[in-house]
Amino acid sequence: MYRIRFHGRGGQGMKTAGRILGAAFFQEGFEVQDAPRYGAERRGAPIFAYVRAARAPINERGVIRQPDLVVVADDTLVPVPAAGVLAGVSEQTVLLIDSFDAPDVWRRRLNFPGPILILPAAEDVEDRAERRYVGAACAAAAARLVGVIPWPALAAAVRDELPGFNPAILQKNLDKAWDAYEQMAAHAGLVQERPAMPADVQQSPNWVELPFEDARFATPAIYAAATSVNVKTGLWRTLRPVIDYDRCNRCWWVCSTFCPDGAISVDPDGAPHIDYDHCKGCLVCVAQCPPHAIAAAPEHLAAAEEQP
Amino acid sequence: MTRRLLTGNGAAAWGARLAGVDYVPAFPITPQTEIIETLADWIDRGELAGRLVTLESEHSMITAAGAAAVTGVRVFSATSSQGLLYAMEMLYTVAGWRAPFVLVNVSRGLAAPITLEPDHNDILAARDSGFLQLHCATCQEVLDSVLLAYRLAEDERVRLPVIVNLDGFYLSFTREPVAIPEPEAARRFLPPFDPETNQFRASAPVSQAVAVLGGGPYSYFRYEMQLAAVNALTVYDEVAGDFAAAFGRTYAAVEDYQSHDAEVVFVMMGSFAIKAREAVDRLREAGWAVGLLRPRLLRPFPAGTFQRLLAGKRGVAVVDQNLSLGKGGVLYMELASALYGQPGAPPVLASFIGGLGGRDIGPEEFYAMARITRQAAEAGRAPPPRLLYTLEELREVRTLQAIAAVERRSLGETP
Amino acid sequence: MNETVFRRMKDLPSTHLLGTGTPMCAGCGGLEAIHEIYDILGGKTVFVNAAGCMTLLSVYPFTPFRGSWLYTAMASAPAGAQGVRDALDILLAQNRLDPAEDVEVVVLTGDGAAYGMGLSATSAAIERGLDFLYICYDNEGYGNTGQQYSGATPHGARTATSLGRQGFRGYKKDLFAIWAAHRPAYVATVIGAEPLDLARKIETARSLRGPRLIIALSPCPTGWDYDPKETVAIGKLAVKTGVWPLQEYVDGQVAHTKVPHPRLPVEEYLKTQGRFAHLFSPERNEALLAEIQARVDAYWAEAGD
Repeated sequence: MYRIRFHGRGGQGMKTAGRILGAAFFQEGFEVQDAPRYGAERRGAPIFAYVRAARAPINERGVIRQPDLVVVADDTLVPVPAAGVLAGVSEQTVLLIDSFDAPDVWRRRLNFPGPILILPAAEDVEDRAERRYVGAACAAAAARLVGVIPWPALAAAVRDELPGFNPAILQKNLDKAWDAYEQMAAHAGLVQERPAMPADVQQSPNWVELPFEDARFATPAIYAAATSVNVKTGLWRTLRPVIDYDRCNRCWWVCSTFCPDGAISVDPDGAPHIDYDHCKGCLVCVAQCPPHAIAAAPEHLAAAEEQP
Repeated sequence: MTRRLLTGNGAAAWGARLAGVDYVPAFPITPQTEIIETLADWIDRGELAGRLVTLESEHSMITAAGAAAVTGVRVFSATSSQGLLYAMEMLYTVAGWRAPFVLVNVSRGLAAPITLEPDHNDILAARDSGFLQLHCATCQEVLDSVLLAYRLAEDERVRLPVIVNLDGFYLSFTREPVAIPEPEAARRFLPPFDPETNQFRASAPVSQAVAVLGGGPYSYFRYEMQLAAVNALTVYDEVAGDFAAAFGRTYAAVEDYQSHDAEVVFVMMGSFAIKAREAVDRLREAGWAVGLLRPRLLRPFPAGTFQRLLAGKRGVAVVDQNLSLGKGGVLYMELASALYGQPGAPPVLASFIGGLGGRDIGPEEFYAMARITRQAAEAGRAPPPRLLYTLEELREVRTLQAIAAVERRSLGETP
Repeated sequence: MNETVFRRMKDLPSTHLLGTGTPMCAGCGGLEAIHEIYDILGGKTVFVNAAGCMTLLSVYPFTPFRGSWLYTAMASAPAGAQGVRDALDILLAQNRLDPAEDVEVVVLTGDGAAYGMGLSATSAAIERGLDFLYICYDNEGYGNTGQQYSGATPHGARTATSLGRQGFRGYKKDLFAIWAAHRPAYVATVIGAEPLDLARKIETARSLRGPRLIIALSPCPTGWDYDPKETVAIGKLAVKTGVWPLQEYVDGQVAHTKVPHPRLPVEEYLKTQGRFAHLFSPERNEALLAEIQARVDAYWAEAGD
């Protein structure tokens, strides 16, 4: 069975990527199971999709614990624990990252035991969330890596899974998919089918006898204020608002009032400060600043500048 | 201690009064309405220092009940049947809030067809909700159970809401002698409500009942409710012991009537179990070795007690006044799962279903059930479940059908 | 009302009370309105919530509130508010709660609950004279489930359950009028894009007792299909085109707090959102555009514009 996970942000087409690959496997006569996994709909938040494909009926369900291939459409997700990009990987897992950085850069960053491949980030588009074709590209790259999906099957799957698309946009998707398919040519077949772990090798489940706990603790109640600040929603950001303090005229703090998340504070001198741990990059502040003192910069560049 | 004639509804109201309840969110429904009317009357006269508010539906009523309980006051409410089901979403919800309060349910058969008379389908629909359940057979037991229920709900080892169930009509509107505890004695048995962390205060912000995402955390909270519900087995025995010491009335989790040397045992809940008691007496006079076990506590289910009391018995006749459509009697299923594989478990359980919509169960039917169970025990094979129904009743239905123009031969033809 | 603390923009709060780090979409107009409201209401509150997008403000163990919160169910947040308020009053009356510890009870629901499932609970709460505030964040659809149409969806809008060329065939329910017909203490419409107007109305609501209800139109990038940075611009257009009247009901009278003059054509507002794209492309739907404009014109004609 092939077990493949796609990781991306809401809006980047990971669900579609999973479906394209699933459809392609299905066309090639495989039994398939594909599904997205996300909480409520949230543009920019981490989501993943998974695909299982096998020649025999698939008797597994739910998230893939031991992936053969992990495809990461947005490399800013790798350091986000909640994204779970590296969950269950082993030295047999192939990691494919859509990135500007080289494989050895990633190997230095991650303690990853298996092969790391890079899908070169196709365009220097400012807003990563706007990279509409990354879903089709990821699916195509995955198809080439498993080595059992010929291009016509992949192309047919792209067409099936993007019905009602403007023909020009559909063609763009196919072009990007073809590029990615070709880019992986040297590694065709690198991702192999693996059987399920044998029963006698599996570790025992580590069950515990849950102790009774007082209702004071065993209720979903939060006895503190504003614990949400622990969640770094700044990691959602693909564009970063940057204040030019020379142009800022310390108005009645338009930016601070209109920021939906309250991520802009105003200091005693009336100067606004953006909390980059939490700014989601909606850019309402950019749009509303009266003297246009706030500009949007690509997050991956701004974040790189912050590295020591 | 004064002894007066009280209906089951009146007894429930007295239980709430003696418990010194602060808040009564209410909504009328037959056959419970007299409870809230009585409480409203006492409040208007200044005899009860509580607040009663009529909500616009039972779903809202239970929401308000839980919300007030987690704000830190002692809450009482009452409903039946369709109202209990209308609130069903909130029964699960407020139990998950760990809101400790008492809800009286006056059992009534469920629509459709809509009816007014009792059976146990309504209360049993709530058995998975997280509410604990006490089932009463007499008006005295109703009053006493309300007090027991508060001690149970508010115990820090439990902190779950409790339903006290009584049968509509046969208890709700039937008067029996009831000893009413002195308020002081009731207060000693049931001290004022300790809200613990159930509170909203300006100086101590709390987010209660928040969403939980992820199977691991969700399971933790649900499993803890299960552990708390199971704790209630021990807590109930303690509380019942305190009650017996204070008031001289003993309410074991399972009432044991003559089962010790019985070969065949009836298992039955609610007020009709009193009729089973009578049948046991008559059968014993005729030389039979029969007994009766009546669970008062249904949630948590007193499995251990049943295993112990039924060990070595030859046959059990489970009489269900409820019907899980497509399967059968609920008490039967609950008992069977508690006994299966246990040492000494009776080899034969017989399932009988009767009393739906208030249908009577006659003494001759009890005797027949005992006979069938004994024969099955001797044969070593469980009989098929029996839906209790007589030829006379069938004839009656045919007469009604004729009036309703349901002609069997002409069904399907244009009238 | 005559006296207000909020005379100019600089009178608006400069520190924010609602914690960051919630999972609402980037650019959420509902969150914007709520954080502006919370800044003024403060932490001596308990927010009682019905199922909707904002339910996810608090996901264990994270909550943005510096005051309190209780999640109830979709249909019954006003009943939950009743229970909390009554219990607080009982505790106060019995001296079991110090008056300094009292909190204001605030119902928070989306339009799904307010215009639909929760309407009966709200109606009864007003009828009982419950002393509470009700904040409805109205994004004109069942947002948390993917923007299916609700009682608040405007005529012609594309939603997940109105995908045809004509969009939603129904009409937006007039919740303001329904609530006002109950004669509560106060009803008002607000929008995050008009923070001064919003602040004054919250201040007024705070100064009154009894049922006080607010509807905040909440531009929704995900549901209305636009770039998140346009949330405030679209909110301002909703007001300037007269699509979202800013009004209040108090002392038995309805008055508009802002009358758009000149009133921009509704097209200016509609064309900013993907949910109305079918009115413009592949060709203009003149009939539907005219109908929408006519209804807005008729509203303002009756309002005495």
